[in-house]
Amino acid sequence: MQQEQTNNGGRSRANQTRKGMLTNLQRGETLLEARGITKRFPGVTANDAIDFSIRAGEIHAVLGENGAGKTTLMKILFGQYQPDEGQIFIAGQPVDFKSPLDAIELGIGMVHQHRKLIPAHTVIENIILGHPNAGAVLNLSRAEDEVNRLCEKYDFSLDLRAKVWQLSEGEKQLVEILKALYRGAEILIMDEPSSALTPVETEKLLDSIQAMAESDLAIVPFITHKLPIVLRISDRVTVLRRGKVVSCIDTRDATEKSLAKEMVGREVLFRVERTKIERGAPILEVENLSVRSDKGFIAVDQLSFSIHEGEILGVAGISGNGQRELVEALAGLRKIEGGKITLEGQDITYANALHRWQAGVGYIPADRIAMGSIGDFNLVENTAMNYYFDEAFSKRGILDFKQIRELTTELVEEYDVATPGVDVKARTLSGGNLQKLILARVLSRKPRLVIVDLPTQGLDVGATEFVRNKLVEAKQGRASVLLISEDLDEIMSLSDWVAPIYEGRFMGKLPADSTPREVVGAMMAGIELDKQGAAT
Amino acid sequence: MQEFLIRSLDASTIFTIAALGELIGQRSGILNVGVEGVMLFGATLGFITATTTGSYMLGFLLAIAIGGLLGLLHGFFSITLGGDQVVSGMGIWILGFGLTTYIGSPFAGPLGLPRIPSVFGLSPFFFLGIALTAIVWFVLSRTNLGLRIRSVGENPVVAEVSGISVTKTRYLCVVTAGMFMGLAGAIFSLDYNPVWAYNFVMGWGFIALALVFFSMWNPIILIGGSLLFGSLWQVSLNPQLLLPDLMSRYIWRTVPFTITLVMLLLMSTRWFRTKWGATKPEALGQAYVKEG
Amino acid sequence: MRIGRPTLKLQKRVYLSGWRAASISILAILVALLLFSLIFLLAGINPLTAYEEIFSYAFDNPFGLPITLNRFVFLLLCTCAFILPYKAGLWNIGMTGQFYIGSLAVYGVLLGLGFRGSEPVNIAPGFVILLMVAASMVSGALYGAIAGFFKGKLNTNEIVVTMMLNFIAFWLVSYMIKEGGPFMNPGGRGESFEMAASLRPPTFFNVPFTIFLALGFAFLLYFLLKRTKLGYQIRAFGLNPTAAEYAGVNHVSIPVLVFLLGGALAGLAGYHYFAAVPGVFKIARNYAFFGDLAFYGIICGLISQGNPLASIPVAFLFGGMSVGGRYVQGKLGMSFGVDFALMGVLMITLVAFQFFYRYRVVFSNPQKENPDARILD
Repeated sequence: MQQEQTNNGGRSRANQTRKGMLTNLQRGETLLEARGITKRFPGVTANDAIDFSIRAGEIHAVLGENGAGKTTLMKILFGQYQPDEGQIFIAGQPVDFKSPLDAIELGIGMVHQHRKLIPAHTVIENIILGHPNAGAVLNLSRAEDEVNRLCEKYDFSLDLRAKVWQLSEGEKQLVEILKALYRGAEILIMDEPSSALTPVETEKLLDSIQAMAESDLAIVPFITHKLPIVLRISDRVTVLRRGKVVSCIDTRDATEKSLAKEMVGREVLFRVERTKIERGAPILEVENLSVRSDKGFIAVDQLSFSIHEGEILGVAGISGNGQRELVEALAGLRKIEGGKITLEGQDITYANALHRWQAGVGYIPADRIAMGSIGDFNLVENTAMNYYFDEAFSKRGILDFKQIRELTTELVEEYDVATPGVDVKARTLSGGNLQKLILARVLSRKPRLVIVDLPTQGLDVGATEFVRNKLVEAKQGRASVLLISEDLDEIMSLSDWVAPIYEGRFMGKLPADSTPREVVGAMMAGIELDKQGAAT
Repeated sequence: MQEFLIRSLDASTIFTIAALGELIGQRSGILNVGVEGVMLFGATLGFITATTTGSYMLGFLLAIAIGGLLGLLHGFFSITLGGDQVVSGMGIWILGFGLTTYIGSPFAGPLGLPRIPSVFGLSPFFFLGIALTAIVWFVLSRTNLGLRIRSVGENPVVAEVSGISVTKTRYLCVVTAGMFMGLAGAIFSLDYNPVWAYNFVMGWGFIALALVFFSMWNPIILIGGSLLFGSLWQVSLNPQLLLPDLMSRYIWRTVPFTITLVMLLLMSTRWFRTKWGATKPEALGQAYVKEG
Repeated sequence: MRIGRPTLKLQKRVYLSGWRAASISILAILVALLLFSLIFLLAGINPLTAYEEIFSYAFDNPFGLPITLNRFVFLLLCTCAFILPYKAGLWNIGMTGQFYIGSLAVYGVLLGLGFRGSEPVNIAPGFVILLMVAASMVSGALYGAIAGFFKGKLNTNEIVVTMMLNFIAFWLVSYMIKEGGPFMNPGGRGESFEMAASLRPPTFFNVPFTIFLALGFAFLLYFLLKRTKLGYQIRAFGLNPTAAEYAGVNHVSIPVLVFLLGGALAGLAGYHYFAAVPGVFKIARNYAFFGDLAFYGIICGLISQGNPLASIPVAFLFGGMSVGGRYVQGKLGMSFGVDFALMGVLMITLVAFQFFYRYRVVFSNPQKENPDARILD
């Protein structure tokens, strides 16, 4: 009780201090300091005595793998979590964030990786949403003037009357930045700032970040993999590993190698052994496939390709370039606008999803919870999702649950799914275990064509390795695999062929072992191969 | 014919006010399929109060209050308890239907009060309906509160991180919605047709619900739809005005429901949705559970 | 440091056993009856006396029990008609309309064969009964399928559609039996012609054979949902339509099928009430009363958590209570609609209790980690 009062006192003092800060903000002055931040969750200490500070005009990157405690620290700094131990200071005064609102009030802004915007609303509506001075009756033109001044200051350009759903990923991010600035943010936390951006947009973003730091804003980007970006823009970098700060150094003293080593804790990044097997007959042949998106636009544009037996074709691309529509069309879940799909010589263009399963298609969807499993079904019933139609598991329309249970038990063991039993509901499984179950269910059917969309998204290192090995196993079993991923490392290490996708078209189909990563990266951004040569 | 037009406008008023209430709730993401139940409550309690006290004013106030209370109940089930909004709405409808049948039946028959005087030959509630529509339109599209309501209905998570209390906003909307529906019920039983009979709202609440879907969540289109259905209802009651001896009067009674059905189907077609870009509030019908 | 104090906490249930669900349901019914005592108290009646009257008339009275049983058959059919779509995640509140259409079809058969109140000639009564049963089921099924078809094809809100169909069917019945309609009873006012005596089905203790049909369908439905391929598809679709579609379940045929089968059962209820229950044998003037009782099916379906076997005792209990409610209304001089009021109170209590099917209330001490908490995260 007493402590709470102290905190309240501290907070109001900090508020006054902040108002002072606004007028004589000095470059290099420490704006925020976190000391000894500890946060525990059942069974895990997500943040362990973390010290962190940020100065005005500084870009201070926080680097760490998935599970290193980045997200927890970020949420604590933004008031979404309260630390179990430790204290945050703003301009030297202790503060206690009860909710993000307290953080916003004290000048902290957040740019989320998964954009916190309302697609149906306009840009300006999104920016003023929740602003304390918005007024009872909205004065949009006044707000627009103010936001336009911010745009001019940092050289942003954006149509404030456009609906957010019409914007590109980079523009959406800009809306989030503007929203934070309009609320008076002096510290901008950015979660994975370059994710889902094209290289061109990333360039623009980095320029903007530097422009904002020039104006004495403090920027804290939280980054998982993209070391070059850290090296290029940040002044200081803090590396987290297993909830602890392993180092906090000036960026000019760091190299890509030294950062990677600190992040992972060992020298090398793992690689799956690529095995080449003898090229067989074509399994999947696609001719001039066109598919529309939910909004009615052409998302897959006259695509033609084939995958042979024992081959992995990796489709690399920023999400939203037609990957989802492509896999759904191949799985029979989306109407096809035109073209032809053949599986082992059999025309399946108009076959429904069930027929495709029976014909030997196995689809592992990106969304494991909404599409890949039924949370309220137990594991046996979830396994049945890919077996209920199988002659071997039903007799005259009656399912043989005993047999399906045996199969489930076998699969759970073989795929090392951590679960107390097969009778628990699927919703109790962790992401990695759920993915293993889905993989087990689909791959045990021995499909001729495996379609796998973002197979390791959100998984920890162990599960990622497991999933990748299983895909390679499927390939060795002479299946053909269509792999969709945003992770270029994944694509390059698993695939035999790489097809960068951009706006619904493949930019080419290249052998993975002899194509430089940079070429694929450029093609993902829509730059064609011959033009690349001219540019460099 | 003039009588017919007046009755049509009167009926439209009731559709408008009930549907406006539902629209407010839906814009904040709360679906209440129990409009009929709230209307029955408002109509019956308003009727009983007016007939026993002789005061129209008390009748309307009580109807509005009970509507607000039922809105609160729906809010409690669907916001606080995070339950299925359809289940809760069904509950309110069946509660309304069951309980008002019992409570109201001793009062079956005409109201026995002098009619509410008309203004320019029309029910005063017609003007109230227009005013409420304008107000709701203005609030939703031009004010900060409206932006908050729409945001909560589109994406409560975003609204919450922007500093808006999803719970408060949604409660405000469901209670207001309930008051509108209760008022609409009372207008039915005290002004439009001041006679209490078994299950006398006859599906108007469900038509109002359908009207919200037609309106594409726009109060201005909503009033147009209400006018259409108000007139349709009058035609179905007095078919001889338009087409004498074409069909049995009972068949005519099915017409408003059939038209509702046909309109609903038309609205649901891909063609219509792409043409008009009709999009429901993204979070409609989904419970919001605060994180952490 | 935060100092932990034991607090009441809500926890999402990971698993709900059948017995636990049943005990929550029983508790819900008891709470509803407790609430309903208020209605008796307000009417100046001792609730205990009232409940005693209700239960003894409904379940322990030579006149009351057959009425209860007949009501039970009707409710069980309506409940099953609700449950099947409910398991597919869809709301069939159109039992009323399907029931009306089923009864119209029964009298349509009679009219078609030319037995307008007269005895059948040249045709075995048993065959006519068979025809009537079939007609009620087929017509109810087709009427129900409208909602399922549009749900599947256009994703139209099935609640509004079935409700509109209810009103359409209601006025169609009026048209058929009143004011010179094809089924009008020449002597009576606003009811249909009477069915010939020889077409009355055999009864056991004043309960027609439809009781066996209803029970049989409940068992079949249970088996269908639990063991068959189709049942599996229905349940998958109900819990997660996207995942079900992914697994090859057809998003059009499942809604059509569940509404088709559900409608057939509600249609059969039309045959049961207007052509099989002793003493009626015509579409009665107060057909709306029976139609509205069909909404009890929603309550039975929800309270039995979509389990057709569990719905058997529930339908029996509620059948009895609605009959007993109507009886005490007359006996104790209460106003009309006690049975409907009971329905309303039961429903709203049940809605409140939905919460306990999903959550459990636990005492927790923040200092101690809950072993379940992890698995939920």
